[in-house]
Amino acid sequence: MVNRLIARDVAYEYQNGVRALDGAALELERGELVAVIGPNGSGKSTLLRCLAGLIEPSSGTVEVDGEAVVRLPPRERACRIAVVPQFLPKLLDVRVEDFVLGGRYAHMGRWRTAQKQDRAIVRAALERCDSLDVAERRMSELSGGQRQRVLVARAIAQAAGVLLVDEPTNSLDPEHQLAVFRSLAELVRGGRAALVVTHDLNLASQFATRAIVMQSGKTIDSGPVDRVLTRAVLEPVYGPHLHFGRFANGRPIVVPWDATS
Amino acid sequence: MSAAATGEAPRRHASRARSGRFAFVFGVLLLALFFGSVCLGPTVRFSVGEAWRGLLALVDFGPDLESASRQSILELRVWRALVTIGVGAALALSGGFIQGLFQNGLASPSLIGVTGGAALGAAVAVLIVGGYAPRLVLEHVGSNAYLIPAFGFAGAFATTALVVYLSGGGGRTSVTALLLTGIAVNMCVAGLFAAIQSLTLKDWEVSRAILAWTFGTLDDRSGYHAAIVFAGLALAAACIPFTALELDLLKGGEADAQSLGVNVGKLKWLAIFAAAVSASSAVAVAGQIAFVGLVVPHLVRLAIGGTHGVLLWLSLLGGGVFLLGAEFLQRWWLGEAALQPGVVMSLIGGPFFLMLLIRERREVGQW
Repeated sequence: MVNRLIARDVAYEYQNGVRALDGAALELERGELVAVIGPNGSGKSTLLRCLAGLIEPSSGTVEVDGEAVVRLPPRERACRIAVVPQFLPKLLDVRVEDFVLGGRYAHMGRWRTAQKQDRAIVRAALERCDSLDVAERRMSELSGGQRQRVLVARAIAQAAGVLLVDEPTNSLDPEHQLAVFRSLAELVRGGRAALVVTHDLNLASQFATRAIVMQSGKTIDSGPVDRVLTRAVLEPVYGPHLHFGRFANGRPIVVPWDATS
Repeated sequence: MSAAATGEAPRRHASRARSGRFAFVFGVLLLALFFGSVCLGPTVRFSVGEAWRGLLALVDFGPDLESASRQSILELRVWRALVTIGVGAALALSGGFIQGLFQNGLASPSLIGVTGGAALGAAVAVLIVGGYAPRLVLEHVGSNAYLIPAFGFAGAFATTALVVYLSGGGGRTSVTALLLTGIAVNMCVAGLFAAIQSLTLKDWEVSRAILAWTFGTLDDRSGYHAAIVFAGLALAAACIPFTALELDLLKGGEADAQSLGVNVGKLKWLAIFAAAVSASSAVAVAGQIAFVGLVVPHLVRLAIGGTHGVLLWLSLLGGGVFLLGAEFLQRWWLGEAALQPGVVMSLIGGPFFLMLLIRERREVGQW
């Protein structure tokens, strides 16, 4: 498996006629951590759902390792692409370990029984996300940060080559934001490919190998963060209220700034 | 960290043991209630030994009881008890599937049109048997006693199929669309049913037969009725291994389940089929018996929590215990079934539903 995801000219129109995607395109290779950035309503989350095969594009194609994502049987697709959602619709009354075991579903046999090996993978994933201590608790008892780490652990347990992550650091404190991105970077170094939809330009700057900018349903720019996170690229997209600087390692810093204050 | 160190293995073992204990208690209760129902009656009573001999005779493992009339009474009670177990189990299992699919502990099989459709089908059959059909049909059907269960089953299944079809077809149907379509179709079906009732008001016999069916009945059931309900139950139970884990994964929402590899469209079809076939077979043979499908899975979930793999099987067992237990207690206290099963269940289920509603609203701070 080469863990390559390619989207070509993807358009998506909702039933109410709103065109959320209008010719989006991207390539994601093994060993890459790509940040998808853009203002609210630019189509980032819809693109992620198309890439994951959760919705079928109105036109255009999404392929993983040369095969159309929407044509893959659900379990085979889940073995190749894992999704880390921004949040779950409700607080689940499920043990954390059983929740993460859900990530092994696509690998289970006909009678859907978890083997010893599945449980070992689950515990290794929880340990990797610093969450083994909450394995016996219920999902509904966890803090926002703990839940987010457990969601990442489930995606790790899914053992898919491509990770699609939707705004993973919302509601997390700085330390946990870093922890989530460190986990993702480590997975990418291990040979996976990760695409992260995020509003946090500075975490993208520190961890992403590449950034893709979206506006009005289109991918308007793509390249190394040094080139993309610049005034020339971002001001036309986000507006003028940005301040640019540099981290100690030379990577760009972008923060909202009101010049009048 | 090892599994033993975190207490994971003992905890899993304890959970399995708890489910096993519940299954054992349900099994013992079912057996005791079955013998109780066979032995006790308003006029004739059997000892356990005599009931056992009569049962062996029924399956050709011994001679009939000395008195032919006593053997006949025993046979009638055996079929009634078996049908009661089957109906309770089928309704509760159907409720378990529906609550899992809708992710709502207040959902019941009537949501997908099963109960309303069965009532309409049975009412049409009563009309035919009552002489309202064209002569050509009447000549072929006459007063066929099997017509009402058959039409009840067909009505239930057809209404469910209509709900699924109108809500957009299995693969692309959202659970919300299914719920709203179910409510709308139920209204239409209830309207047609009321129209039949209204048009036959002056015909006392037909009117009474339709009304009686809506109260449910477990009397005078035969092997034919038992075969229908247990066939439906077996088909639905066969779906459990292919839906239980998937229903667990649905707790995080449809998109989440899909991303984990669950074929959500297939899951909906299978869960609805299982719920429809079991509830249809139950209402076809026993008429409308409300609340079993709501109360039993909910109680099982409250008692043991757990996954659908456990919940569905225990609901099946618990449904049989619940309905047979309610029937047995009524006969024990009153000496006969003074109230029809549908009425008894409504008397128990109404307050129970209200209690659930208050409890759930309190939990989310809305009461």
